[in-house]
Amino acid sequence: MTKLNLDIIGGPLLVLAGLALPFAGADYLMGIAFNLAMWIALTQSWSILSAMTGYVSLGHVVFCGIGSYVFILTNGTLPMPVALACAGLAAGVMALVIGLPVLRVRGPYFVILTFGLAELAKNVIVQIETSLGQFSRLIFDAPALDTLYFIMFGLAVASTAAAVLVRHSKLGRGLVAIRENEEAAEAIGVPVTRLKLIAFVVAAIIPGIVGGVLLLRTSYFEAAQAFDPVISFSIVTMAIVGGMGTVRGPILGSLAFVLLSELLWARFPQLYMIILGALLILFILFMPRGLSGLFERREARR
Amino acid sequence: MTLLKKLKSIIAAGAVLAAGVAQAEEPVRIGYSMSLTGLFAQAAPSQVNAYELWEDQVNAAGGLDVGGVKRPVEFVTYDDQSNPANAVRIYEKLITEDKVDLLAAPWSTPIHLALAPILSRHKFPMVGNTAASVQLREVAPGYIWFPTAVIPDKVGEELAAFMKSKGVTSAAILSNVLPLSQEIKSFLVPALEKQGIAVPVNENYPPDIKDLTTLLTQTNESGADAVIMLSYPSDSFLFAAQAKELGVKAPFVLSLIGATFGSYQQALGESVNNIVTVGHWSPNQAAWPKAKPFFDAYKAKYNEAPDALDSALAYMSMEILQQAVATAGLDKEKIREAVSTMTFDTINGPIKFEGVQNTMTPTSFLQIQDGSLELVWPDSVKTKDFRPKTGW
Amino acid sequence: MSTQLLFAALVAGSLYALVALGLNLVYGTLRLLNIAHGDLVMIGAYVAFWMLSLLGMPPVLSLFAAAALCGGFGWLIYVGIFRKLLSTPALARRLEANSLILFYGVSVILQNGVSLAFTSTARGYQYLNEVHRFAGVAASGNRLMLLGVALVLCLGMLLFLRFHLFGWSLRAVIERRDAAAVVGVDVDRVQMATICTGFAIAGVAGVLVSMTEQITPFMGFPFTIAALVVIVLGGLGNIFAGIVAGFALGFIETFGIAATSATYRSILIYGLFVAVLLLRPQGLFGKAIQAR
Repeated sequence: MTKLNLDIIGGPLLVLAGLALPFAGADYLMGIAFNLAMWIALTQSWSILSAMTGYVSLGHVVFCGIGSYVFILTNGTLPMPVALACAGLAAGVMALVIGLPVLRVRGPYFVILTFGLAELAKNVIVQIETSLGQFSRLIFDAPALDTLYFIMFGLAVASTAAAVLVRHSKLGRGLVAIRENEEAAEAIGVPVTRLKLIAFVVAAIIPGIVGGVLLLRTSYFEAAQAFDPVISFSIVTMAIVGGMGTVRGPILGSLAFVLLSELLWARFPQLYMIILGALLILFILFMPRGLSGLFERREARR
Repeated sequence: MTLLKKLKSIIAAGAVLAAGVAQAEEPVRIGYSMSLTGLFAQAAPSQVNAYELWEDQVNAAGGLDVGGVKRPVEFVTYDDQSNPANAVRIYEKLITEDKVDLLAAPWSTPIHLALAPILSRHKFPMVGNTAASVQLREVAPGYIWFPTAVIPDKVGEELAAFMKSKGVTSAAILSNVLPLSQEIKSFLVPALEKQGIAVPVNENYPPDIKDLTTLLTQTNESGADAVIMLSYPSDSFLFAAQAKELGVKAPFVLSLIGATFGSYQQALGESVNNIVTVGHWSPNQAAWPKAKPFFDAYKAKYNEAPDALDSALAYMSMEILQQAVATAGLDKEKIREAVSTMTFDTINGPIKFEGVQNTMTPTSFLQIQDGSLELVWPDSVKTKDFRPKTGW
Repeated sequence: MSTQLLFAALVAGSLYALVALGLNLVYGTLRLLNIAHGDLVMIGAYVAFWMLSLLGMPPVLSLFAAAALCGGFGWLIYVGIFRKLLSTPALARRLEANSLILFYGVSVILQNGVSLAFTSTARGYQYLNEVHRFAGVAASGNRLMLLGVALVLCLGMLLFLRFHLFGWSLRAVIERRDAAAVVGVDVDRVQMATICTGFAIAGVAGVLVSMTEQITPFMGFPFTIAALVVIVLGGLGNIFAGIVAGFALGFIETFGIAATSATYRSILIYGLFVAVLLLRPQGLFGKAIQAR
């Protein structure tokens, strides 16, 4: 019961705080919140497939990258909201197309396959851009930060809502069954392939849109950066530190990282990265349920 | 910056305070973000070193002249992890939270371009440095300026003219697929055509290339008398090593990025003698009296030569800011006015901006000659004559 | 000029085989995907650089220093972390699932630790860079040395696995760890020896590449990727096939570029990587070990 209370009070509070933030008038604060929202959107969407089924994807950035690319191609010809929708759609379609063969691969093979796919996609886009005689693309008249922030905040909420819905649906129960034992699930009639594919597509759409919004923030597209593998690794790191078992996990993980980086990177950038690495190791070894595990333990004790 | 250096600078700062030399004036705070970790981290030291050298020199001279009053300077720095989105956020923080007095530039074209709208919005002037793209011209003029003379269209045009004047009749072009290389190539190929120089080999390769045997064999077989290697650092090294192995014979050899690094000559030594590269600064230009002292001071402090592109540009950008502040004080609009209109005296000679661009410094080329970087083109600034490459 | 191309393929292949060998050994016996493997290569490169610049020690000797340092690091983390964890099946399973991410943490620490200690400025030195010409091949001394050392190590490892008793135990652990323990193989000792060897080989590879490449704290990641591609082509944990796959990749890359264009190099390699994972996850040749 306490757990539910915490979420019922905490969730809307977070949303309210998020909505009120731009009126504080501090660009810097909004900048942090924008980043936080971005990481929550990405990590939460990642968790829909990867945390639920145990199919750990190390190539989530591929959907951001595809989204960015489609966005920069369509923005200008189409109105911005439509271009953003195209970005998300393109990422979803890509997941649908590659999903069937990719999701047959399991375990460590799946992890490195997703990584390889992201690198392959990056190189293909670089090649396309080169043969088009394009080297980098600029966006002009991007909307102001508060607009972008609201969009990103909306994406964070949407992806959290999606994660909650999936978790409490038949789809979610099927996905968990896949994580526990895929063969057994299949044997008792769970349509594993279809469920995995649905989760994969749902997980892809939001990062596609995030990719587009991110471009509006930096106003510059270059393929090698749009597919930066560090993004994929960061997503997995946040999910693990936050805890993979709950919807809170990605939020806590993103929050921890954004705060930590604000505290440390001012003076000790390399040290910050080192602490990040050490935290990751410690969490994997000693706190497999992440930060949200801490909460649960406390609640259980009450 | 190593821990040791950090410690040294802290001790030095302490000593200055203790000696009571420091003015009662508040320090002028200058903010910047740098790619200390991530994709571009390798490039950071050449730029940060130049900033810190400038800081030392200004403080040793009694401080920064702010419209007649001397005040010490200090930097406020952050790491952007080579990510433009982080850099944007950091500059917003520098401007709105830290309320720094001045800004210095970050690393790379993408980050400069990402910052331009932020600077306009906050009406905060910043002199850029390490950015090179024709896209820079599309940035609305106002609060950002680019002192670089490495703008791809000019580079293409000048390089073709330079090659023509040295009797080159055919050129093999090998190009990385990354933006700067491709952009230069897109202007170079038509320029070569205009000069009547044939291009028998024109190939691209990805950044993670590990072997150039095929490309260099093709180049050798084409008999081209120029090899234009539009490379980034790691492939510049690869190219030089393999060109030596395969005995590339062309007398005109250019390698784009990396040839100005100290490690390039350390690793490749004699074999890269007479390689041409892009750059517009040399310590040996007597017409620029500040050039040599900068080189010497840098070498004394860091025990390595400054990068002829990044370190020089970074230092120049601070010189420009310094001179603008001396007349304009710290008022943002006045600084903007000053940077836009004044002519600056820098280690790279006089600099003046029209719009966002430096129109004084000619697009030039450097050549490694017996361990030092000499300007060999155009004639107006050259420090040595071009020498054909005769062997590796 | 095709002998030159053959030489290029052989050099590239031997380096791929060597780098992948270390990764494969560690995966095979401990089921840990060490994504920090390339960073050990980087450590080896720095060892060579500093030994030469500070002590004047030639890279031939640094081979041993780097092997000792990286091997020692392997020992340290085995004794400090993995020994205990791997002995409980439940923990071992969790570790296996997360090893890639765990080593990502190690990778971040190594890269930024080195960057903090030595700055991220690129380094380089000259060693054996005179060019030798024979049989239609032009080769610099350092690339010949790379080829020689890599060949010797790969062959030596194969012979060791084939003929030495400890090599048999190692293979037994790779193929069936539980069964190996039952028939009296000291699994703990095999695992410790393997992680040390695997890491030491990475250090050696680092010394070799430092002779021909620029040295930076971030040079390691491409080696990790190359090694991953190789062991996937060969089948995870399959040592012999991994070595063959290393050379195969060198040949595919070199002749693939020659046949098409350098511009498709990365698409070719990642395309192959993805295709193998999708179509033949057990590897191109033979069969991979079972992931537990």
